[in-house]
Amino acid sequence: MLRLENIKYSRNSKEIIKGVTINFEDNKITSIIGSNGVGKSTLAYIIMGLSDYKPNDGKIYLDDKDITDFSITERARLGISLLWQEPARFEGLTVKDYLSLGGKIKLDVIKDALNLVRLNPDVYLSRYVDKKLSGGERKRVEIASCILLKPKFLIMDEPDSGIDLMSLDMIVDIMKYLKDNGTGVIVITHREEIATHSDYSYLICDGKVLKSGVCSDIIDYYRSTCDLCDNVNAPKENLI
Amino acid sequence: MIDIVKAYEDEFNKLVELYEKNTNDNSLKNKGVASIIVSGNKVVGLNTLKGIDVKSKTRGDGVVIIDVDIQDNTVIPIPVHLCTGFLEKKGEQLLQFNYNIGANVKVRFKSHCILTKIEKLHHKMISQMYIGKNSFVTYEDEHFHDENGGIFVETITYAKLDKNAFFQSKFYATKTRIGRINVVMDFDLDDYAKADLESKIYGKKDDKIDIQEILRLNGQYSSGIAKSSIFATDSTEANVINEAYGNGAYSKGHIECNEVVKGSNVLVSTVPILKVVNEKSELTHEASVGRIRQDQLDILMSKGLDEEEAVNIIVNGLIS
Repeated sequence: MLRLENIKYSRNSKEIIKGVTINFEDNKITSIIGSNGVGKSTLAYIIMGLSDYKPNDGKIYLDDKDITDFSITERARLGISLLWQEPARFEGLTVKDYLSLGGKIKLDVIKDALNLVRLNPDVYLSRYVDKKLSGGERKRVEIASCILLKPKFLIMDEPDSGIDLMSLDMIVDIMKYLKDNGTGVIVITHREEIATHSDYSYLICDGKVLKSGVCSDIIDYYRSTCDLCDNVNAPKENLI
Repeated sequence: MIDIVKAYEDEFNKLVELYEKNTNDNSLKNKGVASIIVSGNKVVGLNTLKGIDVKSKTRGDGVVIIDVDIQDNTVIPIPVHLCTGFLEKKGEQLLQFNYNIGANVKVRFKSHCILTKIEKLHHKMISQMYIGKNSFVTYEDEHFHDENGGIFVETITYAKLDKNAFFQSKFYATKTRIGRINVVMDFDLDDYAKADLESKIYGKKDDKIDIQEILRLNGQYSSGIAKSSIFATDSTEANVINEAYGNGAYSKGHIECNEVVKGSNVLVSTVPILKVVNEKSELTHEASVGRIRQDQLDILMSKGLDEEEAVNIIVNGLIS
């Protein structure tokens, strides 16, 4: 289990995360839902351990081990990884170089991962991960990279961004594939088509958990309340 | 057959051996590969093919003059190898290549500069190149230098591209220490001519790098790209000037310089110069100077790499 316990985080004197407690279960898909700017991606960076995202307060536990002070590399080596919303470009690196992580990952499994994200290995292995690759193609390469890591927990930060609508089913298939292969998936999303496949959901507003429960209840609430709300980041309801 | 100057057979063999050791390529002994092999201030090996004529002489001041003429309509499927080396510990190597490439020619040059096991050397190569109409020429230049940094390389190329000619240059000095280097590429393009220039240099310790790439887009619809990538570490000093002049109607030029630094004593600069004379010309530039991007490091570290492993992967991409 990955547990966030009363996490607080401020930046430039502004409180962004205001005491979040969440349990992410092994081998489950957990969705984090919320409007733009409520702190969802910040939460992802805090879990991953980015240097500018050290919590001011609270603890992060992986299987009861306190990893709050662990670096990004240490967390990754324990099995936490992140699918970035905006994958970076890497000048001069081919898809093969990038996915092999300096020769650590074998070619046959790289090909399998590319097939899962519907990129033909014969075409893409030699392509460069630079501006000649479209945003959607880079996103697929990044998803393939995450599959290859076989993480214990994978945070997917808006996995559908940059991906065409027709390929949303591929994202869903990947989430299920990861779950079936032992990964706990934490998916940050705006899309009902993706969130609906999660086992449990958290609705975030104003840096806090506004509601949690089975996905259909959270989506119903979001649609009936949040979609109509003019007070983003200033919810009228009591926060749990 | 390969024409090896008898008196310099030992030097020929030593250079070939050094080349093979650095590149795992045995082309220099292949009779089907055109090659010009220079050791110090003399040509020690020559292999020409149909359509290529090479003449060489050493002037009284020690400059080796090499004239390369390629007849119209010549197509050479295998790259022509130009190998320059220096087998003494100290000295000066002065070379002048005069290329006269006819019309409708297709040729690739592969140049290698083997300057290993040298304490102090000034290597200067001036190339004057004329590329005829509709010809397609590529030129790859790779350098292998001694790690002590006592080498000063000057490589200066003036090229004139006739109508609809294409030229691509790749200058790479990334595998060994560079020492001091001054690269000048000055290209004059006629109507519909295209030039694609790329330089990649890895600076270490107190290396000093100067690059000047100039695109003179004189002809209508001429186009060119000049792109430099520098990875500067330790106390490296690097200065890059990319210039493009839009003189011809509908000419298009793009210049780009990316300098990545690692080390507190690095000193790097980039200066783009764009000058549009013809209102129908279009020029652009792109430049960046800075550390390896944090988002790239974060992404790789989120896959379990430590910072040093992540930097190595990024740099290998930049200088590959």
